[in-house]
Amino acid sequence: MNILVFAEVIENEVQEITYELVGKANQLADKVVTLAVGEADVNSINSDVIQVEGESSPLNYVVVKKVFEELKPSAVFFGNTLAGIDVAAQFAADMALPIATMVTDVSVDGDGFVATSVAYGGKVMVDLALKSPAVFVVNRGSFPAEDGKGSAKSVKKLDIEIEDGIEFAGYIKPEVEDIDISKADIVVSVGRGIGDEANIELAEELAEVLGGVVSGSRPVVDSGWLPKTRQVGRSGKTVAGKLYLALGISGATEHIEGVKAKNVIAVNIDRNAPIFRVSRCGAVADVLELVPLLIERIKEVKGE
Amino acid sequence: MDISEMFETYFERLSEVAESEKYKQCLQCGTCGGSCPYGIASPFTPRKMILALRAKLIDEVLESGAQWLCTSCYTCSYRCPSQIPLTDAIIPALRELSLLEGNPPEELAAALMNTARYGNPFRESPRKRDSWVKEVEFEVPLISKKGDVDVLFIPECFGAYHRRCREITKALAELMYLIGIDFAILGNEERCIGDLTRLSGEFGLFEDLMEKNIKTFEKYSFNRIVTHDAHAFNALRREYPKAGFEKDVLHHTQLLYENLDKLKDMFNELDYTVTYHDSCYVGRRNGIFEEPREVIKAIPGVKFVEMKRTRENALCCGGGGGGVWLDSFIRNYLKERPAEDRVKEAASVGANVIVTPCILDVPMFEDALKMTGLEGELVVKDISELVLEAIKG
Amino acid sequence: MKICAILRVVPDLVEDIEINEEELIPFAYIANERDEHAVEEALILKEKAGGTVDVLGVVDEDTAGDIDDALAMAYAKGADNLIKAILSRKTYRRYEVAKALAGFLKDKNYDVIIPGIQAIDAFAGTLGGMLARCMRIPYIGGAIEIEAQDGALSVKKELGGGLLGEYRVSLPAVVGVVSAERPLKFVPFARLKKAMKEAKVEEVDVEVPEVEGVKVTRYYEPPKPEITLLEGEPEEIADKLVEVLREVSVL
Repeated sequence: MNILVFAEVIENEVQEITYELVGKANQLADKVVTLAVGEADVNSINSDVIQVEGESSPLNYVVVKKVFEELKPSAVFFGNTLAGIDVAAQFAADMALPIATMVTDVSVDGDGFVATSVAYGGKVMVDLALKSPAVFVVNRGSFPAEDGKGSAKSVKKLDIEIEDGIEFAGYIKPEVEDIDISKADIVVSVGRGIGDEANIELAEELAEVLGGVVSGSRPVVDSGWLPKTRQVGRSGKTVAGKLYLALGISGATEHIEGVKAKNVIAVNIDRNAPIFRVSRCGAVADVLELVPLLIERIKEVKGE
Repeated sequence: MDISEMFETYFERLSEVAESEKYKQCLQCGTCGGSCPYGIASPFTPRKMILALRAKLIDEVLESGAQWLCTSCYTCSYRCPSQIPLTDAIIPALRELSLLEGNPPEELAAALMNTARYGNPFRESPRKRDSWVKEVEFEVPLISKKGDVDVLFIPECFGAYHRRCREITKALAELMYLIGIDFAILGNEERCIGDLTRLSGEFGLFEDLMEKNIKTFEKYSFNRIVTHDAHAFNALRREYPKAGFEKDVLHHTQLLYENLDKLKDMFNELDYTVTYHDSCYVGRRNGIFEEPREVIKAIPGVKFVEMKRTRENALCCGGGGGGVWLDSFIRNYLKERPAEDRVKEAASVGANVIVTPCILDVPMFEDALKMTGLEGELVVKDISELVLEAIKG
Repeated sequence: MKICAILRVVPDLVEDIEINEEELIPFAYIANERDEHAVEEALILKEKAGGTVDVLGVVDEDTAGDIDDALAMAYAKGADNLIKAILSRKTYRRYEVAKALAGFLKDKNYDVIIPGIQAIDAFAGTLGGMLARCMRIPYIGGAIEIEAQDGALSVKKELGGGLLGEYRVSLPAVVGVVSAERPLKFVPFARLKKAMKEAKVEEVDVEVPEVEGVKVTRYYEPPKPEITLLEGEPEEIADKLVEVLREVSVL
């Protein structure tokens, strides 16, 4: 069985989700081909690679179509990203192929596939049976990226003409001076419980080893320890990523209103802190004592 | 809207609010601005708003955002020598113009839209309104099941949904249970009473809520309403009668005072130095000053101290009139929140407990304790929480 | 410019959804949030480029009444025409919906059709891209700003991590909106009630074709993670936290 993976390439860089898709595809198929549009370095993708000149564009569905007709794979994997979904939906509709979106798992079932989707804001899971060939639009973080990393088995360059209608005019790096915490997958958030401003550094270090960003509760932002753009809660932003790690945040209602992350882990010295009631896991500990130990352990695990 | 349309809409609204033509008698004395917790920061204090109205500069007021720099604390209205309804009319009618323009501060807009859809500003299911009942160990009857009762208890939105404020609701319900009051709740038939929508200038929504709530009240037989939400108390007492609602409405401080003899027999000693915060819509607006003080002073062991600004002159917590939904907007104008000023004042008179009669105060003051570093030195309790503690020891 | 915004209803997540293997029974429906942004952006585009905004509500027989509030809201904000497309049957397959709507839209001569980029119930396709393919016109999703520019559109598309791509899109086209350029306009209650009285909604029945290839085998609730409280020595807690971080695949 063959699987075609559509790589997420932004600003000529292969994005992490591509490796997650390739890793899963390798598990399911004998042959995996990754299609990358753009001039990215594709050598660390653990599959055969077809590289096509171009830019991130919704019109890349044409490229996928051409490669699909050549390879005749049983499945095509896309990342559930703003670029991936444009291409996937158009490709599936153009070819009248069955499609599953918001996918968190895929398995082979006889001649077809079973996909699991998480819909309705995470409240409902749906199992879908799809006939082969099928299209899967997979959520970020569903599969480990390590399995898709390695060295490319082959890299074939192709030229594929795409039709008119949409022209890429360039990237815009927004003038926003700061990162958008509402779009971050991993957020380490600090409350007044961290003591004083100097300890923000500790949270930053933890965020760095976890690949996340730092946010804070309103008192922390009001005190000027973090910019307003980093505020979580009613008068700030809503975080909705994979992890919200709350350090020394008691969890006032006004704060919790902005916490929609899939997993909440809280560290607080107060056993009765309301934040624990919305947490998947709570650590009753002094933030300043625990966090340095945690950073150390994470570094060990990551082999740094 | 062009300016003439704005004026027409504005004065039409004023004409619907009693005595609002009094604005013409404004002396430009400046008492209002001098009394306002946001006076120092506001580009248009009430005095200047009226001046701007006279000069047909209504658009400048709206653009400045001054209409949102009001916590409806009622101090300006209370002190105004011409008795102009600044809090109930002049400012909400300006706010209404912003709503009609479609651009109120975002948090407030969300709270109003949620209230219209779900009957509460929190975007919570109306069917979860009485979920607090499951967290207590005694029975809280529904009026639809119990039939005739003496007291219909209204927890209102904060008391029903806000995690901290639910503790107050549970404490008050337990007190009523312990005293043996014949009470019941509406359960999921209850919906926002709406004082904050009115003071926010959402008059249409307020009228709709009032109409629906009165219909619900009319279905049941009870003698009086008790609520610990100072704004619900105010609206039920002062606004609902205009729409034909005629029942007695009691604030929980009044109910506790009424039952003080029974309570006294149940009290144990508490070793606290307590100060009492006169909330705007209990004290200044509705004249309840003595009852809560008497209740607190009746608890053995309690040392009672007064703050410097008390009774009619008490400082607002900043939460009223939509203030809880305007925090980040007001923050752009002001460094210190009134609540922070207030908890410092409580600490300065040596109190270790600040007791309040208004449900909005509790989260506002607890937040202020964090900001001022007074957490640990001072705790905030609703009066029903203090009383329950005295009973349970 | 002749603009059409697409407005759908989805289950209201504030309320409960009853889940059994075969079906979902939502307690209430609400306008799809991204579509509300699509309507807003359509109205912004009208302000900038002139023209008309039609709002096409997409419902089925069961949800036909649930979109009235949202349509009235659009009217109160300045939409010109309201249309309610009542699909002949419920379907979760977006391709079927796209085909059905393409049939309805093909001779309406819209310059730009604007749906929200996604809906919370889009587990079998997404509407925008599929609709564009069925109509054989260009599609771009992820839009946060649309400008009219010499007979075409200039679209700013989010690419993630704060990065935007700018694209020139020829007309007619379908543009999927993530969020409108400005916050959703507030509509006071009285004005909404007035709009509900005044607004005229044209109802059309739309036949949904059947396309095989994907079917739901079951609906179920996601497993609820147990809340674990870690107490004890900080060293032990740190070890356990690392385990938890692994479980949630952060590590």
